[in-house]
Amino acid sequence: MPARAGPVREDGVNMGALYFRSFRQHMTRPMSREKTGVLLLLFSCSLVIIPHAGHLPAWVPLACAALLLWRCWITFRGNRMPPRWLLLPIALLAMSGVLATYHTFFGRDAGVAMLTLLLTLKLLEMHARRDLFVALFLSFFLILAGFFYSQSIGAALMTIIAVLAILTTQVSFQYTGVVPPLAQRVRLAALILALAAPLMLVLFLLFPRIQGPLWGLPSDAQEGRTGLSETMSPGNIAKLAQSDEVAFRVKFEDPLPAQSRLYWRGIVLGTYDGRTWTPLLSHARHSSRVVINTRGAPTRYQITLEPHGRRWLFVLEMPRTPPRLTSNQSFVTSELQLLASQPINDRVRYDAASYVDFDLQPNEEPQVLQQWLQLPDDFNPRTLAFAARLRNQFRNNTDMIHAVLRFFREQPFRYTLEPPPLGTHVVDDFLFSTRAGFCEHYSGAFVVLMRAMGIPARVVTGYQGGEINPADGFLTVRQSDAHAWAEVWLEQRGWVRIDPTAAVSPDRIERNLRSVIPRRVLGGLLDIDANDSVWITRLKQLRQNWEAITNAWNQWVLNYTPEKQRNFFKWLGFEGADWRTMIALMFALGTAVTAIVVLPMLVHQQKRDPVDALYQLLCTQMARQGYPRAPHEGPRDYCTRLTAPASPLTAKRKASVARFLALYEAVRYGVPEHVPGAYLSQLKTLLSECR
Amino acid sequence: MFNALEHGIRKRLNKWLFRLHAPEPGEVFLNQRRVFIVPTHPGLMFCVMLLALFIGSLNYNLSLGFGFTFLIAGCALIDMHLTFRNLAHLHLTAGRAAPVFAGEDAQFELHLINRRKYDRYAIWLDFVTDDRSELAQAVDVMANATRSVVLATPAQERGWLNAPRVRLQTRFPLGLLRAWSYWQPDAKALVYPRPEDHAPPLPLTGAEKGDGLGFAGQDDFAGIRNYQAGDSLKRLAWRQIARLAPDLGGALVTKHFEGGAAAEIVLDFAQLPHNMDTEAKLSRMTRWVIEAEARGLPYAFRLGSISHAAALGPSHQQACLRALALYGKTG
Repeated sequence: MPARAGPVREDGVNMGALYFRSFRQHMTRPMSREKTGVLLLLFSCSLVIIPHAGHLPAWVPLACAALLLWRCWITFRGNRMPPRWLLLPIALLAMSGVLATYHTFFGRDAGVAMLTLLLTLKLLEMHARRDLFVALFLSFFLILAGFFYSQSIGAALMTIIAVLAILTTQVSFQYTGVVPPLAQRVRLAALILALAAPLMLVLFLLFPRIQGPLWGLPSDAQEGRTGLSETMSPGNIAKLAQSDEVAFRVKFEDPLPAQSRLYWRGIVLGTYDGRTWTPLLSHARHSSRVVINTRGAPTRYQITLEPHGRRWLFVLEMPRTPPRLTSNQSFVTSELQLLASQPINDRVRYDAASYVDFDLQPNEEPQVLQQWLQLPDDFNPRTLAFAARLRNQFRNNTDMIHAVLRFFREQPFRYTLEPPPLGTHVVDDFLFSTRAGFCEHYSGAFVVLMRAMGIPARVVTGYQGGEINPADGFLTVRQSDAHAWAEVWLEQRGWVRIDPTAAVSPDRIERNLRSVIPRRVLGGLLDIDANDSVWITRLKQLRQNWEAITNAWNQWVLNYTPEKQRNFFKWLGFEGADWRTMIALMFALGTAVTAIVVLPMLVHQQKRDPVDALYQLLCTQMARQGYPRAPHEGPRDYCTRLTAPASPLTAKRKASVARFLALYEAVRYGVPEHVPGAYLSQLKTLLSECR
Repeated sequence: MFNALEHGIRKRLNKWLFRLHAPEPGEVFLNQRRVFIVPTHPGLMFCVMLLALFIGSLNYNLSLGFGFTFLIAGCALIDMHLTFRNLAHLHLTAGRAAPVFAGEDAQFELHLINRRKYDRYAIWLDFVTDDRSELAQAVDVMANATRSVVLATPAQERGWLNAPRVRLQTRFPLGLLRAWSYWQPDAKALVYPRPEDHAPPLPLTGAEKGDGLGFAGQDDFAGIRNYQAGDSLKRLAWRQIARLAPDLGGALVTKHFEGGAAAEIVLDFAQLPHNMDTEAKLSRMTRWVIEAEARGLPYAFRLGSISHAAALGPSHQQACLRALALYGKTG
């Protein structure tokens, strides 16, 4: 006969048979009855899946939603879970869907899609308690996968909410008897999270960091980044200029140079096919040593570059040495492009020093210069004719350049983000008919004119300007600051920067784009002029504050690199700490923090009644005399025993003990009115007399 | 030889580690030294998952990934303390244990006293016995409250039955760790001898003939009566039980058989056949005591040096059964 067990009810009936349950039964009991728990689980899982909906192909979130709704319906109706033979084809279908969409199961996006579908299907295949843990652990992986796409403050907040929901679910499934209301369970989960937070901080700061990656990343790990592309054709910078995303942030150590000198050099383009500018082909290139003559003091600054998935680094024109990057060597090409040896897939930070006053390659070899003179045949005949005319008119290269700039300034050229379309002869159409364009039109046309006149010239793309954030003093350079300008080579002076856009819209260079071009709001329904509204100023301020916070987040949370960690240890006073010291320190601090967090939970301070405390004192005193109070003895019995002739106490002490116990009895059990007011002090005096 | 040595060492270690002492009298306090904690299977899975999350964050340089991994690792650590706290500092006392007949389950009442300001949930209790049945039951003990639990263990032999060792365990709140503790309650239950199943009728004139003669017993079906402890399961009136709706208090009923008229009964151990086994004799005496009590026939009782005059009622019955239970047992 098996042992029977059951809690006792107040009426004394043994309900053992009804509450007959074993641990194992509890572990494998179907959970469909615990409806609220299951619904909570579904809620947590959807919280985890929702942030992924944006970057998954539409059918995946839809399939997940359908499966979740099905699961909800099963829970509400108390139906049976779907059988294996039904789930298996669904799973196969989902897998083939992933295969059809991505042509692989591996890689970031395909992996996330698989994980999402796996989680929802697992929810339909939950039979035992361990399946709950499987679902929750899958959710944790999905949360981590979310950081591939966004590591913003919003993503962090969303993660905290999701973890809170998951913990609440996990707690809810642990109750066996009474299940407290949801609010109380959420409070418990929040308590766990709050207590874990200091530990997280210690681990985050002190856990020895190693620079990843440990192995090759999937090829699609860095897709969808915005930034300058390595080619320039009409329209692509204008498109970029509508993006408000941050390209990089700069912290100046020296005074900020004038806005008109903030040219952030990026890519140098030399090959033109009549429509698109591309860099010179490297294998057919003649190059020479880089010579830069600089004047004046350098401007030192630190750039935090957002990942853009390409190799170039942006610097203020013109640095003398390439900046140094940890674990990613950088070098400089002969046309002064700065390149890293690996694509910039993580936020990087580098120090640089630039001279705003410089001569670049003053003694370039003719062979090299020849490369910067090529133009495609059979394009832009009118432009070539115009160039020939100017060339005859002026002897001097400088005069010719001035004439072209004057042409831009004096003819009715417009600076616009939405230029009219251009025909086959792009430059002809732009210079002589539409006369409306963005910086890529101006710089491209200018370089074509220069080359047609025999002056070596090239297009440089990068960023121009930037916005100082008053909240933290960082200069923020956005994608909308993307710019293209020209460089021409002049005898003795080398490569000289000329910005034809400045001739048309000097404001663009003096201030920045946002104040020059009216912003389009609501798809162009409303034009807001940037300078005349109080609201805009306020919004701008708000945005600046928010961006300062984001920047701090990037600097301190997302960019906590091994190097920063070393600096942090240095700041703590452990210069040049190796990993052993780091781990020792982590354990020491971690233990201290755990103790601080946990000990208050374990310490138990019992509030004691002062009268009881005094009684307890008397009892211990008498125990020392060899007369401990028996557990069953009340004060009166104890008094009888203590004052009996057999006891070794003196008569005087016996009297004190008797009075003490009588008073105690009166206070504890007597009528309140008969108790003297100062009973506590009386008891204390009597106690001292008993000693 | 080696096995025996290992067994001995293990036993000693267990004894030292888990404090397998003699029963502790009075109220037992589960101090920190007595509570043990290890990860559960999901807990171990959780550790593996943490490692995977960490490697993932490292490989992809996900700063927030590190933060997230460390946060949930911190949650697990806090869970460890909460699980420990859920069991530690609990006060335990053993309550009553009603006497039972051998072959039934002895039911031990145990009290869990929570003197702390927090609620304790999902504490599982079970007896650790040799056949290691995995039967446990869960209780919640609210802040500053006491909960009573009844745990049952089969009573095989008559005499005093000491409560087996109790194991208390909990996985609350996250189920990643299991805290457990052992407790030897200071409780014993009196086990009466097993009533004989097909005992001869009551010895109505027991002075002369010990066996075979008489009327009581199993001859004629005389109706049904309420089930009483010790009644044979074979005599349960299943048809009647099925008819009684449980919400009307559907108790068990037993078929009642009757013989002849009432007369004075003397239950004398010495009068039973000499060739009978002592235990069998005690068994028969037990059955007779129950039988006589059920039929309301006063009975005298003689067992060794113990002798009770003819009487009826619970105290008389208990005195007789107690004498039967402890016959020949010391202590």
